[in-house]
Amino acid sequence: MSFLGEVFSSDIIRKPVLDPKGEEIGRVKDLVIIKGDPMPIVAMLIIEKKKKLFRLPWADLNIFNKKIISSRIFKDSLQPYELNEEDLLVVRDIFDKQIVDANGAKVVRVNDIKLEGYQDNAMLVAVDVGMRGILRRLGIERGSEEVLNMFKSSLPYNLISWDYLQPLRPKLNAITLTVPRQMLSDLHPADIADIISQISREEGAHLFKDLDIETAAEALSELKPEMQADLINAMDTEKAADIIEEMPPDEAADILSDLPTKKVNELLENIEKEEAEDIQELLGHEDDTAGGLMTNDYIAYSPLMTVQEASERFRLNAKEVENVYYIYILDKEEKLIGVTSLKEMILAEPDCLLADIMETNLKTISPGEDEMDAAEIISKYNFLALPVVDEDGYMHGIITVDDIIDMLLPPVAKRKRRKV
Amino acid sequence: MGPGIITANIDNDASGITTYSVAGARFGYTLLWTLLPTTVALVVIQEMIARMGVVTGKGLSDLIRENYGIKAAFFMMLGLLVANFGNTVANLAGWAASMEILGLSKYVMVPVGAIAIWMLVTKGSYRFVEKILLLACLLYFGYVISGFMSKPDWTPVLKSAVIPQMRWDSEYIMLSIAIIGTTITPWMQFYLQSSIAEKGIKKEDYAASRLDVVIGCLITDVISFFIIVTCGALLFPNGIRINEAAEAALALKPLAGEYAYLIFAICLANASLLGAIIVPLATAYYICEAMGWEAGVNKSFKEAPQFMWIYTLTIALASAVIMIPGAPLVFLMVLSAVVNGLLLPFVLIYALLLVNNKKLMGDYVNPKSYNYISWGTILAIMLLTGFLIVTTIAPLGSL
Repeated sequence: MSFLGEVFSSDIIRKPVLDPKGEEIGRVKDLVIIKGDPMPIVAMLIIEKKKKLFRLPWADLNIFNKKIISSRIFKDSLQPYELNEEDLLVVRDIFDKQIVDANGAKVVRVNDIKLEGYQDNAMLVAVDVGMRGILRRLGIERGSEEVLNMFKSSLPYNLISWDYLQPLRPKLNAITLTVPRQMLSDLHPADIADIISQISREEGAHLFKDLDIETAAEALSELKPEMQADLINAMDTEKAADIIEEMPPDEAADILSDLPTKKVNELLENIEKEEAEDIQELLGHEDDTAGGLMTNDYIAYSPLMTVQEASERFRLNAKEVENVYYIYILDKEEKLIGVTSLKEMILAEPDCLLADIMETNLKTISPGEDEMDAAEIISKYNFLALPVVDEDGYMHGIITVDDIIDMLLPPVAKRKRRKV
Repeated sequence: MGPGIITANIDNDASGITTYSVAGARFGYTLLWTLLPTTVALVVIQEMIARMGVVTGKGLSDLIRENYGIKAAFFMMLGLLVANFGNTVANLAGWAASMEILGLSKYVMVPVGAIAIWMLVTKGSYRFVEKILLLACLLYFGYVISGFMSKPDWTPVLKSAVIPQMRWDSEYIMLSIAIIGTTITPWMQFYLQSSIAEKGIKKEDYAASRLDVVIGCLITDVISFFIIVTCGALLFPNGIRINEAAEAALALKPLAGEYAYLIFAICLANASLLGAIIVPLATAYYICEAMGWEAGVNKSFKEAPQFMWIYTLTIALASAVIMIPGAPLVFLMVLSAVVNGLLLPFVLIYALLLVNNKKLMGDYVNPKSYNYISWGTILAIMLLTGFLIVTTIAPLGSL
């Protein structure tokens, strides 16, 4: 049959279905959805009559809209239907379930589903997550609209296109295309972490498993410590090690510091040696000190290098380092003697020595000092990063401004989710 | 403290203390027997709820919405809203009553209190206050001490505790429903399951949670027991019927002498504040979660309109009710317990259906005994409600 126009599923459910003579053969109990191109389509209606279920394939429908649903066949030709787990049903499996709105990077609940005609099929184009959907399900959409019209206002529609939805349950996954799954990986890791923190633990773990290593590493560092530990423990050691290896050492150290020693050793064994050493060095510091906040990932060159040489080396080194805005200058004993910035380097003459452009009036902090002191220094001097130097002048690492901000104002996903 | 023990402390709110006090004062020890079955039911139900939270990782309102659709969720939330409005009225009544005992006018203290609570919660600093209030709940043990100090005749006490006696007047039945309603409060089930789900407690660690829940229930009911005993021993023989909160303070005289009034007022004020902070907040959260609306205390009215409105209106309207001159504070506190008792069967029915759902709970579905006890409780409440209606209407019919 050709189906033009659009209709909401809740307008169809429980409506009577008529045969060609106009007699009722049953009421719509549910709709079966299957994979379609570009979006899922209705494969058949499940009709209920006198407590028995029958199937009415889409092809056997004559009229299908809000007012009338009629079939081409009579009730004697109806095949019975048995409820099973494989079929995806609208009311049982999609209504009222949570789903991820990848566009808005949040978790929403399905109140209703919008079907639109496309090439003779009823295609599932959008999900209603707003108040209108709730009122429609309760049967009072029209009434409410009229009431609101009296006050010269109206209910807004809040629809999310199926394109932008990432299902949470494996069953829904089966009918969606690969696009949505990639879409989740396209979201900013902080948004992914936000979403994971809004859903139940099991669903969160499920979502996390689907991420690629890089995205997983970034998202992991944005989650709260309990969740991090949970996810790491749930993965096999190799994959967990891969993810941790991918992270900047200070974030890796943060995660490992919350895990039991045995697990930590297992993971460190599987991580590449240099990375593991970096992480272990950071693990040696107390949590709320400068040493606990710093990362030992930074760029440092000799004062005798020219700007030209430094720039070339930078192109190679910067790939692996997260924070590259400042370049630190270390003398031959590896003590910190100066700092310069990327801006200075780019503006300088290529044959200048780093020693000529570097700033020697250094502000530093020692590893044992409190993290709030670091925050104050960074705030006072408007730094993007602060070098951590011990009393002998050796550089141990840098504290970056984003870690300071996280310390002062933890992002939502990291805060304890307890509301009441 | 685990969610179980915290939940238990919050259970002894203004409505609770008052209901038990009135029960003891009006009927002596004869209502004591209701505590035993109620406690058993409480342990069973809370264990069930906690188990659901651990296994599904979701809150009760989420589960109802996901498995029974929006209509069920909507009506449940409506019921919860009404019951919790009642709870907030009771809590603010407790606050007003305790202020009255201390000689402070309710017309000043209720708005002050309500505004203070609203600001504390929306500005986010209520956590600290909550911890203090929870600690102050230790004051309730004063009732235990007072109970022993009043040297009741333990034989009738223990007899009444175990042997059921039924009286067919509406007040007795109403108080029975109130006792059930304030011990097994509907919204507490939502609160407990939510707390456990959010803590992310795993199935393997469940045994510790279960212990926490059981201990919580026992503490709560030991205290309830002693409140009834103390009031039964000291107030009932003298015919003091507790129409005013100050009369309930007399139960603490053996322990605190002249300070009984002071201690009782502090106890009541403490319980009231705790409840007034948590109940409207929790209600707003559960409703918004079930309906899929934005929720959060630090959101503005624009960002989370439904949440902020539900929360603000609950407190504002409840305060308005209390401030009506001559509002019977004690009666309101007991009434709120009754309303909770009436809502309870519906919450229990859903909880039972969900916890027995194999798809959701896997191997952790209810053992048969739990089902019997739960259905028994539901039946008992419905019977009591029926009797209440009959005994209230019958005298009218004979007019």
